[in-house]
Amino acid sequence: MTLDVQSNNFIALADVALHNEDLQHAIGEGTRTAYYRRLDTMFAHGDEHGEFMRQQAAEAKRRALRDLPDLLEKAERNLKANGFQVEWAEDAAQANQLVLDIASRHRVQTVTKSKSMLTEELGTNHAMEAAGLRVVETDLGEYIIQLAGETPSHIVGPVMHKTKAEIRDVFVRELGMTPTDNAEEMVAFARKMLREDFLNADMGISGGNFLIAETGSIGLVMNEGNGRMCTSLPRVHVALIGIEKIVDTVEDYATLTQVLPSSSTGQKMTVYTNILNGPGRADEGDGPEHAYVILVDNGRSDIYATKYAEALSCIRCGACQNACPVYRTMGGHAYGWVYGGPIGAVLTPLFVGLENATPLPHASSLCGSCKQVCPVDIDLPRMLLDLRWDLVREGESQAGWDMAMKLWAVGMTSPARFSLGGKAARAGQAIMGEYMPGPLGNWSKHRDFPDFAPKPFRQLWRSRRSRRHRPSTQTRQGAQ
Amino acid sequence: MSAREKILGKLREARRPFTDVEPIRERRHMIPQQDHSPREQLRQFIDEAEAVGCFVYQLDENAALEQIMELIDADRSVLSWDANQIPFDGLRDMLASLGVSVARHDDGNVRVGISGVSAALAATGSLVLESGAGRNRNASLLPDVHIALMRAEQLLPDLETWQQRQQAAGYPAFTKASSATVITGPSKTADIAHQLVKGAHGPREVHVMILGADAVEA
Repeated sequence: MTLDVQSNNFIALADVALHNEDLQHAIGEGTRTAYYRRLDTMFAHGDEHGEFMRQQAAEAKRRALRDLPDLLEKAERNLKANGFQVEWAEDAAQANQLVLDIASRHRVQTVTKSKSMLTEELGTNHAMEAAGLRVVETDLGEYIIQLAGETPSHIVGPVMHKTKAEIRDVFVRELGMTPTDNAEEMVAFARKMLREDFLNADMGISGGNFLIAETGSIGLVMNEGNGRMCTSLPRVHVALIGIEKIVDTVEDYATLTQVLPSSSTGQKMTVYTNILNGPGRADEGDGPEHAYVILVDNGRSDIYATKYAEALSCIRCGACQNACPVYRTMGGHAYGWVYGGPIGAVLTPLFVGLENATPLPHASSLCGSCKQVCPVDIDLPRMLLDLRWDLVREGESQAGWDMAMKLWAVGMTSPARFSLGGKAARAGQAIMGEYMPGPLGNWSKHRDFPDFAPKPFRQLWRSRRSRRHRPSTQTRQGAQ
Repeated sequence: MSAREKILGKLREARRPFTDVEPIRERRHMIPQQDHSPREQLRQFIDEAEAVGCFVYQLDENAALEQIMELIDADRSVLSWDANQIPFDGLRDMLASLGVSVARHDDGNVRVGISGVSAALAATGSLVLESGAGRNRNASLLPDVHIALMRAEQLLPDLETWQQRQQAAGYPAFTKASSATVITGPSKTADIAHQLVKGAHGPREVHVMILGADAVEA
C-alpha cells in the first residue's frame, strides 16, 4: 500500500500550514540555515569552482541515466560478485512482498530501519507492520516522526517542522521521558532507547544514496551512525534502492558523495560516508550474514521515457526545498505526498499521475532558485512549466481561468483600455484596502496586497519626457 | 516475464535520454589542493578534523599510552581491533598489563573503542576505515569514545586521491572488504530544533592520535 496522495488538497493543506506560526518559524529557520551553509561550502573555493563541481556532478548523473539499462546489469553482476542477493521490483507491492519474503525466510521479528525516502514512497513500514513485524525507525528525526504518527516534511530534515517543545511532548507522551527542554538530554534518551533495538534487531533496512555499478557497492551517507548500525549489527541487511541511484564509476561516486552533503547541510563530508559491499566476509568479525539489494522501479522507467527524465538525476539533497520561497513559508506536508518543494512539485505528478496532483505545478513562483542551487543542475522551472502545459492540454485548466485570460487580453491589447483598467484598479483598491475581492481573496488572505503606485508609469513617463525637453541642466542640479 | 526483464525492457525501449552529454575533459577535486607537502597536509588535516569536532594529538608511543589510559579511566574493558591492525606495537599487551581487557566486539556497553585507520584525508579531516580480518566495524561505532591511531605516512590529500589509490590496487575497499567507512568527526544530529548535538548513535568523542609525525602547529 502506498501513502495516500493528498496533493489535490494542496490549497487546504497550505492553509493549515500558513496558520501554524510555530511551523512557519521552524521551517523558516531550518531552511535558511541550510541555505547559507550550502553557499559557504559549495563556493568556499570561488564561484567558478563551485559551479564547475555542480556541472561535474550533473554530468556524472546524466551519463549514468543515459546508460541506465546497461549499468543496471553491470551493477547486478558486481553486486552478486560482492555477495549481495539481487532482487527486482516493478512497484510497491512487489518490493514490499520481497521484503516480507526475506523477513520470513530469516525468521525476522524486529527490524531497524535507517532513513529512506523510497520506503516512504512504497509504504514499506505499513506492509511490515501489517505482517506483524516490529519496525523501528532509527534516524532521530524519523524516529520522532514515527512516534508522532506523521510523515517526513523535508527530504533531509524529516522533523524540520517541529519545535523543540513539540518533540519533547512526543517523547513524554509516547515513551514516558522525564520532561526536559534540553536537546542533549533528549538525544541521550533516544540513543538509550534505540541502542537496545539495534542490538536485538534481526534485520536492518536501508536505502542507498548511490549504487556504484563498477564495483557493486552501495554508497550511504549519514551523520548519526544509525545507518551503520542498521547495516552492520542485524543478521540480515536489505537495501531498497531506486534504479535511478546508479553511478558508473567510483570516480563519479567520489564527486557525488561530496557534492551531496555540501549542497544539503553544508558539510564537506557527512560524519559517516559508508561503502557497503555485501555480507561480512568469512575472515571478518562482524557484518551481516545475509545482504540483499532490491532494485525498485515504481514508476521510474515511465519517467525515463518522457521529457522529465532529468528529474531522475535528483540526489535528494533538499537544497531546492531550502531555496524555494513557497516551501520556506509552509514546509513539505502541503504537497500532499512523499516529496515536497520544487522537486516534489515535479516528482509527485509524475509518480502519482498529474490528475492526482493538479495544484503542484502551480505551487511555484518560477523564481528559478531551485535550478540555481541544484547540485546536478535539474531544470525544475522548465519542468514545472511543461507540467502546466500538460495540464492545459489535458483539459485540467478551469473555465474561470480561461475567462480571466480573455479579459486580460482585452485589456492589454489597447492603450485606452489598459489605462482605463489601471484607473479602475486604483479606484477599487481605495475601497477594498489590502483585501482583494471575490476569488482573488484567496490570494490576499495570507498576503498584503501591495499599494498601487500613486501615479502609473505611463503618466510618470509622460511628465519626465516633457521635463527632459527643458534646455537647462541647472534645474536638475538644483533638485539634487 | 520477470520483473527484471520487464524493467530492463522498458528502459531499452525508451528513447535514450542525454545522448548529447559532453564527456568531461577536465575533472576536478571537490577541494582544490594547493600545497602537497606532508607538513602542509598534516596541518590541513588537523585543522579540518578539529573543525568537525575531533580531538587530534601528535605524540610518541609513551605519550599515546598515557593519553589512552586517561580516556579509558577506570574501565576494565575496551573494544579494539587486533594488535597487528593498530600501528602501535605492543599496545594490547601494555593495556592488558594495566588490567584492561578486550571485550566481545558486539558488547554495546563498552565505553571506549580503539582502532587503526586505512588512510586519513587532509582536505576534510576524515579517517578511512576498512573492515577486514582483525578490523571489526563495531570498535569505531558502538562505544562513546573512539580512539583512532594512525601514522603520519597514512595521510592522503583527499577522497579523490584515496579513490585513485584504490583504483590502482583493484578497489579492495569496494570488493575485498565488506564495508568501508569514511569518518568525519563524532556522530551528530541536528534534528531537534536545528541544534547540533554530538553522540546521536555513534561515538560522541573521536580522538585521533598521530604517531611518528614531525609535529606541526595547527
